[in-house]
Amino acid sequence: MAAVAVLLITRPWGAAARAGADGSSLKRRNPSVPGTIIGPMAAIEIHDLVKSFGPVRAVDGVSFTVEAGSVTGYLGPNGAGKTTTLRCLLGLVAPDSGRALVGGRPYASLTAPLTEVGAVLEATSFHPGRTARNHLRILCTAAGLPQSRADEALAQVGLADAAGKRVLGFSLGMRQRLALAAALLGRPRVYILDEPANGLDPAGIEWLRGFLRHLAHEQGAAVLVSSHVLSEVEQTVDNVVIIARGRLVRQGTLTELTSNGRSVVRVGAVNAAELGPALETAGGAVERVEDGLLRVRGLTAEEVGRIALDRRVALRELVEERTDLQKVFLDLTEER
Amino acid sequence: MTALIRAELQKLFTTRLWWVLLLVMLLLIALFLGFAIALAGVTQNGAAGLPARDTPQWAQLAWGSGSSGTILVTILGVVMMTAEYRYQTITGTFLTTPRRFPVVAAKLLAGVIAGLLFGVAVLLLEAVTVIPAVILSGGTFSPSASHLPQTTAGLLAAFALYALFGIGLGALVRNQVAAIVGAVVWTYVIEQIFTAIPVLQPVGRWLPAGAAQALMRMDLDAGLGRPDLLPAWGGALVLAGYALLFAAVASATTVRRDIT
Repeated sequence: MAAVAVLLITRPWGAAARAGADGSSLKRRNPSVPGTIIGPMAAIEIHDLVKSFGPVRAVDGVSFTVEAGSVTGYLGPNGAGKTTTLRCLLGLVAPDSGRALVGGRPYASLTAPLTEVGAVLEATSFHPGRTARNHLRILCTAAGLPQSRADEALAQVGLADAAGKRVLGFSLGMRQRLALAAALLGRPRVYILDEPANGLDPAGIEWLRGFLRHLAHEQGAAVLVSSHVLSEVEQTVDNVVIIARGRLVRQGTLTELTSNGRSVVRVGAVNAAELGPALETAGGAVERVEDGLLRVRGLTAEEVGRIALDRRVALRELVEERTDLQKVFLDLTEER
Repeated sequence: MTALIRAELQKLFTTRLWWVLLLVMLLLIALFLGFAIALAGVTQNGAAGLPARDTPQWAQLAWGSGSSGTILVTILGVVMMTAEYRYQTITGTFLTTPRRFPVVAAKLLAGVIAGLLFGVAVLLLEAVTVIPAVILSGGTFSPSASHLPQTTAGLLAAFALYALFGIGLGALVRNQVAAIVGAVVWTYVIEQIFTAIPVLQPVGRWLPAGAAQALMRMDLDAGLGRPDLLPAWGGALVLAGYALLFAAVASATTVRRDIT
């Protein structure tokens, strides 16, 4: 992380990255969202964002932040308001109220946005009759980047061989890679990706995961990636923001979310009858599942192991049951 | 700003559309010129049709036939704008340049440049057909006697204006097919009716086609009597007014709209 901090030192949100890395006193609590810690200037900040389309409140008071050097998953079922949030953040949609800032500023006020933010929205936003290279060169021209960046970015996403081909013949996966290449053109420090795994085959998803981790953890970029399929991002993200019907329902680290503050330890003991009361004495809530098998709340696996050792009770099994993330996701986002 | 105009021209010239439209336009005008050459001086039922090929009037008429290419420049303008919505490339455009007014201004200026390039292609085609046709029939090709400088200026102005008209229409309608159908109906039905039928000409002379004819001094009798046109300077002012109107429509409809 030290290397990341050095790399980021010239960036406006470098301070945020360093604060996040060493956990120094620069951190402060965000008063509007209990439990959230934000830096002095996060790479992405969303405050009380509201956007309605006619009678539908697509986004209803969403707030969260994304720090440099981390991947944040923005999760929710289809129609939850993920895309609208990202489009507000990118200046494409005007919010009714609230703020959406990149590097402390609204996207529309960035003078060279491609060099600060790389965005991947729908995979269909290409002219089918134009070649991949020309698509990127047009963006380079408008952004004042050298035309050579087009081929470099195509090579980075593994599309060098298709550079001169019309997008018409591209598979969905190739279009996703081309969209990612467009995001890479200006070598930005912030990436905003809307459902980037859509249409990718398993190998493509694996490649994307590695790529996003590389951007965040090795290049110190802030990555915000939305998905409605949890398993796509589960192995990639550091932090999770969950939205359902326009409202933020949960945010935190992946670990916080799965442990859910109520971790359960499953203990299989030869002499469970003796171990149970001992665990209760130590403050655990013990549930007897079946003969010789207990489920304990309020104690860690290590604590349970130590108590068993003290009592000289032989254990057959000692497992910290992590709540299944998919189940948490469904519980949080289903109709209530 | 020049970077944005170059990007817009790059968009135009990296798909096949421009040369398909250019080819269709040149074929269309070649067809009109062919009729003008074949029917010159021919009398129909005792009445004179077109002037003879060796008259300055014929050269002016043939030169002005290039204005029939404006429909293809209109379509070019429509597609320049609607393709962005149809293929959602407008998202990438506004992500690259979030300040939308410069994008619209660059598109309008690129449209003017493309319109003028099409106009130049038309003038070249006319030069290589009309000049030999006049000389071969024993006439003297005299640009001044045929008012060709003015017709040429009017043609170029009309091509630039109709490109703007197309972009404005595309920004307003956004559905590519509907906008193209609208442009064709406007050009071939509404403007034709209002500029050809004498009773409607007081209205027609204020439409873009009537104003362009005034600027080109195309006040020749094509069978329905001399059209009642504005003076040339009036035509120029009306065309400039339309250009501003279409530019305003294009920016007003694009700058504030949510891109979803």
